[in-house]
Amino acid sequence: MWPEVTADPAFKDKVSSARVLAVGAGGIGCELLKTLVLTGFKNIELIDLDTIETSNLNRQFLFRKRHVGQSKAQVAAEAVLQFKPDVKITAHQANIKELKFGVDYFKGFDVILNGLDNLDARRHVNRLCLAAGVPLIESGTAGYLGQVNVHVKDLSRCFECDEHAAPKTFPICTIRNTPEKPIHCVVWAKDLLFPRLFGRQDAVTDLDEQRKEVNGSSSSQADGAVQGPSFFLQKQGENSYDYAKRIFRRVYEQDIEQVKTMDELWKTRRPPQQLDLKEILDQQTLPETANGYSSASRALGLTESHKAWDLCENARVFLASIARYVDTRPDEIGTLVFDKDDDLAVDFITAASNLRALAYGIPTQSHFDAKGMAGNIVHAIATTNAITSGLIVTEALKILANDLDSCRETYLTEYAERKHVVMLNPSRPSQPKPDCMVCGCSMLSLKINTTTATLATFVDKVLKSRLSFNMPTIMCGDFLYEEGDGLEDDELEMYSSWLPKTLSALPGGGIGNGAIVDVQDQSQHFSVKIVVSHQDNFDEEKHPDGVILEGSAKSTRQAHHASSSANPVAELSNGAQSCPDDNEVVIVGSKGITGFKRARCDEGDDDDVVILGEPPARVGTTPNGKRTRL
Amino acid sequence: MSVSRSRLAEERKAWRKDKPFGFHARPETNPDGSSNLLRWKCHIPGRPNTLWEGGFYPMTMEFPEEYPTKPPKCKFAQGFFHPNVYPSGTVCLSIINEEEGWRPSITVKQVLLGIQELLDTPNPGSPAQSEAFLLYTNNRAKYNQCVKEQAHRYPPG
Repeated sequence: MWPEVTADPAFKDKVSSARVLAVGAGGIGCELLKTLVLTGFKNIELIDLDTIETSNLNRQFLFRKRHVGQSKAQVAAEAVLQFKPDVKITAHQANIKELKFGVDYFKGFDVILNGLDNLDARRHVNRLCLAAGVPLIESGTAGYLGQVNVHVKDLSRCFECDEHAAPKTFPICTIRNTPEKPIHCVVWAKDLLFPRLFGRQDAVTDLDEQRKEVNGSSSSQADGAVQGPSFFLQKQGENSYDYAKRIFRRVYEQDIEQVKTMDELWKTRRPPQQLDLKEILDQQTLPETANGYSSASRALGLTESHKAWDLCENARVFLASIARYVDTRPDEIGTLVFDKDDDLAVDFITAASNLRALAYGIPTQSHFDAKGMAGNIVHAIATTNAITSGLIVTEALKILANDLDSCRETYLTEYAERKHVVMLNPSRPSQPKPDCMVCGCSMLSLKINTTTATLATFVDKVLKSRLSFNMPTIMCGDFLYEEGDGLEDDELEMYSSWLPKTLSALPGGGIGNGAIVDVQDQSQHFSVKIVVSHQDNFDEEKHPDGVILEGSAKSTRQAHHASSSANPVAELSNGAQSCPDDNEVVIVGSKGITGFKRARCDEGDDDDVVILGEPPARVGTTPNGKRTRL
Repeated sequence: MSVSRSRLAEERKAWRKDKPFGFHARPETNPDGSSNLLRWKCHIPGRPNTLWEGGFYPMTMEFPEEYPTKPPKCKFAQGFFHPNVYPSGTVCLSIINEEEGWRPSITVKQVLLGIQELLDTPNPGSPAQSEAFLLYTNNRAKYNQCVKEQAHRYPPG
């Protein structure tokens, strides 16, 4: 019995001969690998696609500065072999979604341990574990929060029985016209303005479409707007600061002026106010672009990253960062994508979003906070990763002891009364959901405009981004579409020629109202049936991509189950809003939180850990009554 | 999806993952771009170092609705020269004969490899056409010449 079994010599042999696969060699992965070998595991395979970055070094303790740029999996394996030379670690610098890591590969392990950083890969591993019948221990951390889940086919919920929030997206009209929160301004600066100025120059964005008639603007400016993209590019012979000022006036004066004329937007909202550049700058000077600083804010002497800049400082950083790009990094213009480690990009995003916030009466952000928002950064905490890894190994031992009754899923939560004090909340894994689209047999229902939505939209937005398909095969009546390996050139050509077609115009009668689409995946052993219904219009606020995808309770595996969720329909379509507490941390792993020099969360010793025993009253009767014995 | 179609979808996936060199097999595409999962267009390469080398022989596999309980019907072009191919082009081979060796577990790949092997190792015990059969048994030189000529008529590509 657990835990006495751990002292049994026969069990120790079992551990040393067990074959485990660790997916991910980042924040959790480093801790996990260390704990595994010190626990007595001797046959480990480790997969990670990434290379080591400087910003990993503070917590991914197997890596040193000299390893930057090398494979995480490889270096982690070598580092562990240094202090534990008698173990066998096979490292792969590879994507877990590659076909070579298929069902047969997974079948070669006793247990799979996930330390992943994204929803897509987690779903992929979940599907392969189900197909191979190998237990999966899944984990995630975000700051002080963390969790470890045990997924055993047919006995406990699979990773996808519960809905996991996808990264939040915002309706485009909120971003374009009616921002209400700082994050809306950051998204505007990062996803609209930054790519418009420094990204692909031939792309037409929502910013170009925005202006048609501008009340009271001069004719030359109106012409500029009509010409579209060219307005946002530096003109031949134009001084860099003149260019930056022209952009400033366009986005903070003219565009704001124009959006104010859309009366219906301002019936229930406070309209924005234009920013007058001349008034703001007053007599302030702007720094030379060639003064040796790569950062515009530092060139202006703004070195305190936690302090929000005032209006004038924001305007100066905005102008100086644009000028600095065009003067000192002209070769990159046209190809830049936002990178949170590019100081100048963060300067620009901070200033641009703050200026927009000021125009709309929204609170401004410090450089530090804007960077966190723009890079979707959650500050990683090494201790959380260490606790989580310890729990993973504990659960792995129970799996090996074949003591599923002792398995627990554990949530690391913050104490409500005392921040930064961590509680461990263990509970028994829940039963599988009969209507799960992955381990159950559910049909999905899709509402989409079949006369305007293209096959490309269906493949990218529905199959790949919502459902995490990797290499989909689509069958509907006499229609067949395939992606993935093993296709001839002429097949590839034929299939890609269909992508721009609308669903109803596809060969074989099209995918129209009432069509049942079978989708399978070449690399995942996963398939779903999607029932399509045509819908003409969508509420742009609620469904910006014109897609409503819902799970249905229809199940062929078993009749309604007492533990199944009350409302399975609700969650798929708008993941982020309706997701229960215990799922929120899943989506953020160690990777999403790399790349940040942390100043705050490591200060002091306030990340105490309080380990609570399992409260007997909670077993089997957690708040919603969902947790039952394995 | 019917049993036959789900099985064929699996066969197609398996084929793409692991197809023998030089072979082609895929559901037939109609002129309008739709596909017929029950009818596959295939090409079988003649084995190297045999009389059949250099030929790239087109064949169709027709799967009945009862597939995989019943085997697919494999057809070369009408008049295909081989002792075990009927004048209609239909292949006579035990593993795709419901009365003989067919089992639902036999894969598309196994069928195609079996037919490739049959090309150079005909079975004189079960003749299906008189022309090739008689030449094979009575005039091997002439038979060999006919096989080589046929290989030229089916160049790769």
